[in-house]
Amino acid sequence: MAKQHKPAPMVDEVSDFEVLELAVRELAIEKGLFSAEDHRRWTEYMHTLSPLPAARLVAKAWLDPEYKKLAVTDGVKASLEVGIDWINSMPTNFGTPSDYCNLRVLEDTPKLKHVVVCTLCSCYPRPILGQSPEWYRTPNYRRRLVRWPRQVLSEFGLQLSDDVEVRVEDSNQKSRFIVMPVRPEGTEGWSEEQLAGIVTRDCLIGVAVPKAGKTQNDKRPVHPAVHPVEHH
Amino acid sequence: MNRGHHAEKATGKGDPQCFKGEAGPAKFKVGDKVRIKDLPDVFYTRCQVYTRGTLATVVEVVYESPPAEDEAWDNTDNPQWFYSLVFRQKDLWPEYPDAYANDTLETELPEFWLESA
Repeated sequence: MAKQHKPAPMVDEVSDFEVLELAVRELAIEKGLFSAEDHRRWTEYMHTLSPLPAARLVAKAWLDPEYKKLAVTDGVKASLEVGIDWINSMPTNFGTPSDYCNLRVLEDTPKLKHVVVCTLCSCYPRPILGQSPEWYRTPNYRRRLVRWPRQVLSEFGLQLSDDVEVRVEDSNQKSRFIVMPVRPEGTEGWSEEQLAGIVTRDCLIGVAVPKAGKTQNDKRPVHPAVHPVEHH
Repeated sequence: MNRGHHAEKATGKGDPQCFKGEAGPAKFKVGDKVRIKDLPDVFYTRCQVYTRGTLATVVEVVYESPPAEDEAWDNTDNPQWFYSLVFRQKDLWPEYPDAYANDTLETELPEFWLESA
């Protein structure tokens, strides 16, 4: 008998949590807590988000000392100037329980380096930084960064000297955080757009520092699926 | 049961902004030394065990909100002040290397977890 053709799966692996999310979502729609249309709008909104506004915020602050003051004291207000309205622009108009509206911008200095983690699960400033990278949500990163920050940062390729204070920000209440790194050498006279280009997502989480000419996050290893979706 | 009361309160204001003015005077101020209480956690907490019993310094009085321990049960009756606290890594982890004695950790906690130290 000829082998029956089945379309290839769209993902390599579906975790138990994804199955759970699907089940809870379907129950919530059945009970009328929200509609399938609400869910679609929300998902589409989430897919419009990226780290670009946060990169622009940092670049603007590097160029404008007054704006830098505003960014450090009122991150929500400073976000408006890069097109992010934490309070009114989301489909719900009030943020969500996982994206509370209190953005804090952590200013690095040559002697102070911030790095952000959420040890509880995955608090992340999504409106201004998009979806968190997979590694940010892993127990490995979360449990090790608070205790062995220098070792973990060195695994990301960031070696910090002894006289730099490493400050881990454990983001697990209602504030959300981005890091404003020190403007690197070799960027004198650059435009806001050029500067924003080197403020990568990893720089904004704090696991990397910007460098003139480096506009991409480093590649992270991709592990094969533990429980691959089966082809029948 | 009005499941939307939280959304109604926060619409156009944001959360935690919608609880502004509801906590009364703050007990601690920037610069105060506090100790994290070692309270039992019943069903839900966001106070990490690694902070319990440890000294910290208040670096910012951040916002007012019901603590997560109440809000998890839809109880928004008792908003309180939240504080941003800085810990010395050496105080949190006894084996933290002396060479990096300046390293710190910052996190937020609501007032009921804190006592003066």
